[in-house]
Amino acid sequence: MKLNITLPKFLRIGTLPLVLILLMAIAAVVAFTRYAFGIGAISDLSYSYPWGFWISFDLFTGVVISSGGFLMAGTVYILRIKEFEPLLRPSVLTAFLGYIMVAVALLVDLGQPLRIWYMMIHWNHTSVLLEIGICVMSYLTVLAIEFSPVVLERFPKLHKAAHLIHRYIMPFVILGVVLSTLHQSSLGSLLLIQPQKLHPLWWTPILPILFFASAISVGLSMIILESSLSSRYFQRGLETHLLAKLAKALPIALGVYLVLKFGELAIAGDLGYLFTSGIMSLLFWAEILIGVLIPMIWFSIEKNRTSPNALLTGAIITLLGLILNRFNVSWFAVKHPDPLFYVPTFMGNVDYFPTFPEVAVSIGIFSAGIMAFGLLAKYFPVFEAEHHHVEEVHETVHGLHPAPTPGDD
Amino acid sequence: MTDIKHHAYLFDATRCIDCRACMVACSVENNIDMDKTRIWVAGLGVTGEYPILQRGTMVYHCMHCEHPDCMSACPVGAYTKAEDGPVTYNPDLCIGCRYCMNACPFGVPHFDYDKGIVDGAFIDKCTFCPQRIYNGQEPACVQTCPTDALEYGERDELIKRAHERIAAHPDRYIDHVYGEFENGGTSYLILSHVPFKDLGLPELPETPINEVSEKVMEMTIPFALGWGAVLTAVSAGVAAYDKKLALSKVEVKNGKSAEKKAEESK
Repeated sequence: MKLNITLPKFLRIGTLPLVLILLMAIAAVVAFTRYAFGIGAISDLSYSYPWGFWISFDLFTGVVISSGGFLMAGTVYILRIKEFEPLLRPSVLTAFLGYIMVAVALLVDLGQPLRIWYMMIHWNHTSVLLEIGICVMSYLTVLAIEFSPVVLERFPKLHKAAHLIHRYIMPFVILGVVLSTLHQSSLGSLLLIQPQKLHPLWWTPILPILFFASAISVGLSMIILESSLSSRYFQRGLETHLLAKLAKALPIALGVYLVLKFGELAIAGDLGYLFTSGIMSLLFWAEILIGVLIPMIWFSIEKNRTSPNALLTGAIITLLGLILNRFNVSWFAVKHPDPLFYVPTFMGNVDYFPTFPEVAVSIGIFSAGIMAFGLLAKYFPVFEAEHHHVEEVHETVHGLHPAPTPGDD
Repeated sequence: MTDIKHHAYLFDATRCIDCRACMVACSVENNIDMDKTRIWVAGLGVTGEYPILQRGTMVYHCMHCEHPDCMSACPVGAYTKAEDGPVTYNPDLCIGCRYCMNACPFGVPHFDYDKGIVDGAFIDKCTFCPQRIYNGQEPACVQTCPTDALEYGERDELIKRAHERIAAHPDRYIDHVYGEFENGGTSYLILSHVPFKDLGLPELPETPINEVSEKVMEMTIPFALGWGAVLTAVSAGVAAYDKKLALSKVEVKNGKSAEKKAEESK
């Protein structure tokens, strides 16, 4: 039997949006449970493991995959390499949505979500987390400003405002790069306070520098991934020549990271742990191999830099490896006090494994991000073609109604 | 009122008989459930090798560090270290981020995992019974302890007493007072007959472990200003260079066209 149902037009949505909406709905139910009955009701977090999947995925991964925004803003506005302009808006949008997802996820993770703004007025200047909080909040504002012309250009009446923002964008770009440098590296500093908990293969005083160095590679890979995927989904052209240039920079960025990482291990005398720490050594090598060595070789081959498929594959490999690094640092390699400490107490749980609802929240928030990207890209001039079109319109509008400028009497 | 200038505890693991009266006292004094007391007792089972066997008990408690990592980590400054010893927590500021739980090397702060958004989920930890010590009384756990395994007093005196006890019975104790120097010193001192590692205590350096992150944090503002200045200079430089390049191109173009015109006129 064949069902023949005709849906009204507004209900006809594609498979991908439908799946995303379902995932979001699941996350909403889980979040409701968490707000009603507490974090313990849905997660495996415990006194021994106060931070788990949410922090590793939503905060550490969420922030690092949003680093493309400041890279492209810096390249286009500060270094004035204008040819990368087509990649600017999608990267800024990815970053903007990425940080919103981080903020939303933190609202689930925090014990007192309604007090998140306390970070703006109660400052403890020795806290790394405060720096991250302030930077993320400020950078979210900067990203909103950087992205606002895209929204404003959509409405002819607001072109003047878009023009104004475009004109005074430089201070915000510089502020954005500074804030990004600070909090991308500070995510590494978060772990500096637990030298006795984090495995020596990862704990080093230069963790912030390593985090910043790897954030650059993640940002470049993320731009490749996001351009490739959106070009496939929206069936638009791919800026392969630009992505090839990014891919050429990847082996250099990864090489610097690799030298820093092993140089530090050698200086600290921790090279021995590379082979003697069992599963930890394995995780370390996995992250180095997948996230650094294979991508370095992959992107050094010219053929891989010019083929859209190879670019996408390489970007995914790099991301997997470097995200594994974030998981290692914030979760896998963190050993909380000896189980003995907790055995006789109510603290019981010394092994942490994320529960299904915990993961579902993160996936739901991530789905919302993808959905928002799709909708914004569909209805606003995010990609190159639209951009130029709008620029033209923009020009003509200004030609017809010349805006009074200071000193133009 | 109290004459004590630096409040501290001394716990002697050889004296503890695992009666857990301190847990009951803490529960009653602070009006908290028995499964959430701020002090907790762990029987370590039998240690050593036959025929020298020993049973050990450890009483875990906030260490009231001299350089508290919870306080260093808390973004909103919900923790305070009093000059006279106690490390206290202010629930009115807490945002529930649980970074203090990560930062504490002893795993002391607890969190209300069973509380929703209406009740509010907070951190809980030992307060050093301010309502008692500032009225000339001992903390509840110390007063209840039937074997004087827990003692309370002036930190310097307790350290002296601990060393005297070790000197008097060198066969009974390990020659070390845990907390005298660990993590820059703590206000909960421990004497033991078994290695401190067996009591579940971490091996910590004598320098406070939050030193590294606090140094990094001190560099933040200067770095941000410097980096911002560098970026401003770079962008101004690139802009000037671009302008110059564009101008020279225009000149070349003009020059060429002038030449062409000259040629045409010829």
